Amino acid sequence: MTALLEIRDLHASVGDTPILKGINLTINTGEIHAIMGPNGSGKSTMSYVLSGRDGYEVTGGDVLMNGVSMLEMEPDERARAGMFLAFQYPVELPGVGGMSFLRAAVNARRIEAGEDEVDQLEFVKMVRAKAKILGINDDMLKRAVNVGFSGGEKKRYEILQMALLEPTMAVLDETDSGLDVDALKIVSEGVNLLRDPARSMLVITHYQRLLDYIVPDYVHILAGGKIRKSGDKSLALEVEEQGYAGIDDAA
Amino acid sequence: MLASTMQPNLDQLSGLDDVRNAALARWQANGWPDAKAESWRFTRLGAVVARELAPAIGMSETAHAPGAEITAIATEMKAHVIRFYNGMLDVRSLDGLPDGMTATHSLNTDFEAITAEVAGLAPVDHPVGNLSLAAMSAGLRLSVDAGVHIEQPVLLAFEGTGETISAHPVVMVDVGISGAAVIAEWHQSQLGLSAPLVALRLGDKARLDYAKVQAEGANNVHLAATGISLGEGSVFAGFSISAGGQLARLETHVTLTGESAECGLSAIYLGRDKQHHDITTYMDHAVGHCHSSQIIRGVLDDASRGVFQGKVHVAPDAQKTDGQQMSRALLLSRKAEADAKPELEIYADDVICAHGATVGELDETQLFYLTSRGIPKATARAMLIGAFLDDAIDSVENAALAGMLRHISDGWMADVKGVSL
Repeated sequence: MTALLEIRDLHASVGDTPILKGINLTINTGEIHAIMGPNGSGKSTMSYVLSGRDGYEVTGGDVLMNGVSMLEMEPDERARAGMFLAFQYPVELPGVGGMSFLRAAVNARRIEAGEDEVDQLEFVKMVRAKAKILGINDDMLKRAVNVGFSGGEKKRYEILQMALLEPTMAVLDETDSGLDVDALKIVSEGVNLLRDPARSMLVITHYQRLLDYIVPDYVHILAGGKIRKSGDKSLALEVEEQGYAGIDDAA
Repeated sequence: MLASTMQPNLDQLSGLDDVRNAALARWQANGWPDAKAESWRFTRLGAVVARELAPAIGMSETAHAPGAEITAIATEMKAHVIRFYNGMLDVRSLDGLPDGMTATHSLNTDFEAITAEVAGLAPVDHPVGNLSLAAMSAGLRLSVDAGVHIEQPVLLAFEGTGETISAHPVVMVDVGISGAAVIAEWHQSQLGLSAPLVALRLGDKARLDYAKVQAEGANNVHLAATGISLGEGSVFAGFSISAGGQLARLETHVTLTGESAECGLSAIYLGRDKQHHDITTYMDHAVGHCHSSQIIRGVLDDASRGVFQGKVHVAPDAQKTDGQQMSRALLLSRKAEADAKPELEIYADDVICAHGATVGELDETQLFYLTSRGIPKATARAMLIGAFLDDAIDSVENAALAGMLRHISDGWMADVKGVSL
């Protein structure tokens, strides 16, 4: 196993407030890791720090992908290097057509790789095929990005983007939030289809429920900006029964 | 200010008819608005007042070939082009007008009755209305026969060159009862001052799809006055884009004179460097059951400035009026500035009127979402600016006019710093 993502003693602040206080985590190629934690533990901050969002300042430590530090890279550079973030709250882009958005994203990566841009007709076929699996119809594909989508539709659209962009490191930020059981199943099945020996995932969630469907190799408990406990999938069940309180105390 | 020192210099004017003489007297009495004029508070004319200018009166229209961009766009639109150069009408370009459209012009006819019509429709006591009526370099009246629907667009191309020349074309369009036409203005000159005066009258149940492009040269001052009168059940679908020039003001006054008329009066302004764009509208709901809609979008880069002033007036008897107005400005630079002054003046009680104005920057969250997908930041910015403008241009129903407007907005976008499509 080789380390795809290495997080070394990562400290990060939002404004003057330190949120991450020394995260250490190594994700090998093909592994699925879950991060669980109570509200305010730093879960979303971690997803934004990994994807390079402005306003999330790294104050110490390093993040390496394939052995290369990502901290100086812009969000678009990280994405083209294989990083993908499925948003907890996908963003509406009124006036930006869905298909042109998807094509721009796929082409950005292909241009970087020195490949030709996608053929428009073939691209439409490919998108339709992948969309069908996720229960996304043509009407949704024609609309402006995320505009008028329900909560569940937005999450499915995130997974569609992931399927098209084929990242090596996917971070799923509370992909289960706002989903009912049926929607959760569809989204999880979509994610499971993307499980691949060459692809790693970091699944961030508040609830154990999601991990019944997307079964992780490892589970980490984040609290107070640090990983307090790590284990296999049984740790998630433990948390489900006992809550986060005990873990906070252990810190 | 002494009449003899006012710019443009009108000393060469002679033999004016009564209507133009009266306009000249008003111009000489009032001149350019002074520092206290409320409706010019955001747009100061110091730059034009200081210019040495004279109308190109007495010059004949010359054999300049039309600009390449105009030729290309007219071909794409399959438009008939009527040409003005330095404000003078090229009468040869009136040959072969679409069936159902007739032209009358001041170079071969007594135009007094027409100038009187224009004076009646133009914004009242407006500096450009007064000045350009008096200094009229050429007058053209186009009439569309009642009941005739003309689909071929007619493109009025205003070109010219000479920084000491002011152009004062006067155009009147009269669409007869149940007639329909598609007309566009395209202004692209290197003149010191372009001051077009336009009057549009729609008869009952008439329709006019209208677009204006202001793509003047970098040193031009463009001050336009347009007056529009809408008859019962008529539809005016108008859209302007102001992208060129050093300082531009597009002022339009609409009077809804017949019930159930519909008026779309939307505009985009695109500013860069130290440009100043002003969109000023006055929508007079004189009678009831009419609908007016104004979508204004501005994008301002560098140290440019944009102004939108729009007043919707609803007369006491104009019940069931629906008047909508929304202005949004997008600032791409810390030095850019947008001012908006939307006003509602309502004297009827059973109306639906709404207005709003926002000024903002590109949304950071939207930019992050796009870049997190690997889309370079410059492309992401262009996508969001494009979406902002398309939202307005999408309201243009006529495909030829929409294409013409997109040509300008796309061209402008391609030059936004840090943007590559």
